[in-house]
Amino acid sequence: MEPTLSRRRLLAASLGGTGAALLGLTGCGTSSGSVSAGTGHLSLWYWTGALSTKLLAVARKGVPGVPGLKVKAAPMDDIYGKLLTGLAARAYVPDITALNSDVASFFPHEDQFLDLNSLGAGALKGQYLDWKWQGGIAPSGRMIGFPIDGGPSALYYRKDIFHKAGIPSDPDELAQAASSWEDYFAVGKKLRSAVPGSFLVGNIASVFRMSLLQSPKQFVDQDNHFIGDQEHVKRCWDLAVESLRQKLSAKINDGTPDSNAAYAQGRIASACNAVWWMGGIKQIASKTSGAWRVTKMPGGAANYGGSFLAIPKYCRDPEDAFAFVKWLLGPANQLAAYQEMALFPTTPAVYDKPAMRKPDKFFGGQRPVDVFGPAAEQAPVVYFSPYEGTASTPVYQELTNVELLGKNPDKAWRDAMAAAEKTLSQKGVS
Amino acid sequence: MAVAGATGAPSTKPSVRARKERGRATAGRPGSPVRRNLPVYLAISPFYVLFAVFGMFPVVFSLYLSFQDWDGIGDMRFVGWQQYDWLLHDSVFWKSILNTFEIWFLSTVPMLFLALVIAFLLNSQIRYSMAYRVAYFIPNVTSMVAMTIVFGSVFAQAGLGNSLLKAVGLGDFGWMTSAWGIKVSLAVMIIWRWTGYNALIFLAGLQAIPSELYEAARVDGASSWQTLFRVILPQLRPVVLFTVITSSINGLQIFTESQVLFQASNGYSTGGPGQEGMTIVLYLWQKAFGDHQFGYGAAIGWALFVIVAIFAAINWRLVARFGEDRPVTSRRWRINRAR
Repeated sequence: MEPTLSRRRLLAASLGGTGAALLGLTGCGTSSGSVSAGTGHLSLWYWTGALSTKLLAVARKGVPGVPGLKVKAAPMDDIYGKLLTGLAARAYVPDITALNSDVASFFPHEDQFLDLNSLGAGALKGQYLDWKWQGGIAPSGRMIGFPIDGGPSALYYRKDIFHKAGIPSDPDELAQAASSWEDYFAVGKKLRSAVPGSFLVGNIASVFRMSLLQSPKQFVDQDNHFIGDQEHVKRCWDLAVESLRQKLSAKINDGTPDSNAAYAQGRIASACNAVWWMGGIKQIASKTSGAWRVTKMPGGAANYGGSFLAIPKYCRDPEDAFAFVKWLLGPANQLAAYQEMALFPTTPAVYDKPAMRKPDKFFGGQRPVDVFGPAAEQAPVVYFSPYEGTASTPVYQELTNVELLGKNPDKAWRDAMAAAEKTLSQKGVS
Repeated sequence: MAVAGATGAPSTKPSVRARKERGRATAGRPGSPVRRNLPVYLAISPFYVLFAVFGMFPVVFSLYLSFQDWDGIGDMRFVGWQQYDWLLHDSVFWKSILNTFEIWFLSTVPMLFLALVIAFLLNSQIRYSMAYRVAYFIPNVTSMVAMTIVFGSVFAQAGLGNSLLKAVGLGDFGWMTSAWGIKVSLAVMIIWRWTGYNALIFLAGLQAIPSELYEAARVDGASSWQTLFRVILPQLRPVVLFTVITSSINGLQIFTESQVLFQASNGYSTGGPGQEGMTIVLYLWQKAFGDHQFGYGAAIGWALFVIVAIFAAINWRLVARFGEDRPVTSRRWRINRAR
């Protein structure tokens, strides 16, 4: 090449350099697969609100009790999308990641995560709620999810409206009067006739969801057989349809502006929901502070939601990563996370600590932990298969059709079952 | 697909490069055109490299994927035409096609009409016309998710939409709870977003029409309706075609609106009551990223490609026919001017 072309050559060289850098960018990190490769810290992915911000700030400077260990936590949207991409590419995988209550959807690929038992998790088992601990264990016995928080559930209700309707409005009395779903509906009937325009439940899907969470069996069993057409699911479906037939539902989807308005105005006078809904109801119905109470959920205790921490197999330093998990999710720090973020501890020993026993003004001075604590301890051990989301989608769809479009419930049930079985068979579940 | 891009990048690029190198070796004696223009090729290469990695590769990979069974992490399993076979017998898929076309029709016709009216208004001499143009374009660049949340309040049972209906003496309308309500709601959001964009394109078309044409029409004694239908609209035909084509392409890809507006109780988005808001792309997303059936999702993507291709063919026929009579109009125009 002639020397006169030097400017072009410069241009070409710089372009070539950019290209090489681009190639380098996609290639780097593949040697270990961890996103923190070549740095002095371990990486953690979580979504905002899943872990204590204060404790993560401490870990960023140095994890107490583990000399030299720093953990840099990155809050992200769409963790699953990024995690799946990383696992498929075998690169850019975090050293530690949060997984949601659907941790079971990762069980078919449990080999992508380290068995926490092999890192010494077994010694800590006694400190944690049994059902929560079991929730992170794959059918093979490998433990991939370590308990973060729990979602024990209760019946939230408006004491003032219940009182006006002549329904037992004291938490203990109501727990007696509405111990089963049928009794709860009877209460709703009374409410509807005494206070016209007020409803017992927001939508019938919530009845289905909460009653199904009381069952140890869900849609698919351990042997990957579809059991969603059996009595334990059909009963919950029938309960949901019954609440509609008795006109107890406000027919409003959760999380919509309509639903927020209905709670604020007292049109929906009660709801079965998890402990983390306390933050939500305090926000959307702030003006009704003092009027709300919580009590035992009809039909028994259940857990709704709550997340886990997992250590992917690409983790640079599993020992240190587990030491961090043990520190962050130990009883003392679970209590700290409850005080800071209202993450409900999965270590029952802290339930009688003064910090958890503070009266709550929103609930008229009631101690929520008096209800949620026992609910957390009594919640059943539930087997969630990797396919619950897939299987339940058509059921929730058909419940909406029944509730809002007036679809015949029997036909809706048959359609839901056919759709669930079809999608599951495509995924190899029969 | 991000997954595809990330995995494929390192493996494809070297081979593309190697082929280029080989080509150069055979044709590349010193001073040959390729060799001499190497810096130029290099200068334009970033686009082709990026396109190959992030554009071409995912397309080819999704075709490959549509013949596999893959959940995103594990091994792929070749299943032949099974995904397409399932697709043909999937009633939700057919429903999603019907929904998409209904929403497309409900949105495109009023939208283009509105855009044309707005363009006429903007074309007349008015004050602050630039401000209006910006204002009409803003919806197009606003965050979709944020706007969907706002529209969620508009279409709520006790929302702005029903308040307005009540104010004019009409009853409540189930914007998000009835079959047509859902489609109208989605169409309104699309109209809101794209009308300004199309109006600006129409405006550009209007401004390109020579003023002599209007004057000639007036001299010949044409009424304003005649001017509109005989002069302006024929002149705007290529612009109208362009807007029809772009809105078909956009209309077939409706996704965010129904995804955000109709989140189901378990976090999945299935398009609201009766799945009336389930569109093709929403179904693709739900299958691929909700149920992790990436092979099935890819098959839906290719089915969408076929539908778009049929649409493109129809459009192409229209354009071709238009190309034939264009010289005629311009010749007529020249004769008019000569007179």
